[in-house]
Amino acid sequence: MQVKVIFGEENLTEDVPEDYTIKELLKKLGIPSETVVVKKNEAIVIEEELIQEGDTLEIIKVIFGG
Amino acid sequence: MNSCSKCGNQQIIIRKKHSGQSLCQECFIESINEKVLKDTRKYKLLEKGDKVLVALSGGKDSVVALHILNSLREKNIIDMVAVTIDEGIKGYREEGIEIAATNAKSLGIEHRVMSFKEYFGRTLDEMMGQDGTGHGDTRRQGDTEPRHACTYCGVFRRWILNRVAQEEGATKIATGHNLDDETQSILMNYLEGNINNLIRIGPKSESRDERFTVKIKPLREIPEKEIGLYAIAADLNVHLAGCPYAGESFRREIGGFIKELSRDHPTIMYSTLRGFDKIKPILKKELTPKGNTGECRRCGEPAAGELCKACSFLEGWE
Repeated sequence: MQVKVIFGEENLTEDVPEDYTIKELLKKLGIPSETVVVKKNEAIVIEEELIQEGDTLEIIKVIFGG
Repeated sequence: MNSCSKCGNQQIIIRKKHSGQSLCQECFIESINEKVLKDTRKYKLLEKGDKVLVALSGGKDSVVALHILNSLREKNIIDMVAVTIDEGIKGYREEGIEIAATNAKSLGIEHRVMSFKEYFGRTLDEMMGQDGTGHGDTRRQGDTEPRHACTYCGVFRRWILNRVAQEEGATKIATGHNLDDETQSILMNYLEGNINNLIRIGPKSESRDERFTVKIKPLREIPEKEIGLYAIAADLNVHLAGCPYAGESFRREIGGFIKELSRDHPTIMYSTLRGFDKIKPILKKELTPKGNTGECRRCGEPAAGELCKACSFLEGWE
């Protein structure tokens, strides 16, 4: 199934399997989950949240190090 | 458990690994507000009538500190002024200043912007030779390697904040230091054997010298990730960007190491802080340097030697 992913300036379309979680998506994209807040269809969600067909996921980096 | 531990709402935004607690958006915001204000009372960070200078970079930590402390200002318990330091980092600092100003204005808090250029005659970029002039070898006599930007930035920022606090008649300087920052500082100073700096770590500075305005850290027990989550959940306008000079710092290495450990040991930052806070009074009693602080012959600020740290850097470049 396809989902829309917004990460900073990037707008991506990702193919993910059924029963895929935010945590698995972040791992696939190589984004450390402890550095971001994720919104699913404009609502903040936890990393165990399941992704559904057509979801829009916004990944907001909140930790930059330093 | 997929519902809020406090109100039962099914839409949770955090599941805290260290406590097992799950919270919805509203209860999470409320819990952070309560925790920060509780710590403020517990560590006696503020007294009625204090004028608090908030060091406001525009980043998530200082903006969250500003908004939470503002609840005490609204109750006429404290007065506040916000100060943003323009270090002069091209392409990075400008947006932070704008966001800091917007936040202060939205709350009706007086806001001042003070720059390195104005006080010290050069920007951080110029100090580090990033301005195209080719200047900026930060080596001084005896140094084998150029110093890191964070060394200068920290010293000069503290100098300006202390000076402006005196000008403003501020009784406290509040910074946005979080749990990650504090555990990094504990580990860094211990590993480097920097005991003088180690014994100064805490929720509230305790200098015997009245010329140093007391510094407080209201967010000291809140993990950085939760401050980021709070900023997004409360829809605050924050500057989300990384300082270009932070890349190769020792702090960043230590920060990465602790984050890595925290994945399998979610309580590690809390236990590091708690353990340190228990041994600190003993360390402080045994290891506080004797002798009184004098006065910098150049700027008049408190100094351990003939010159304060900021002026010793400045003289080294002249």
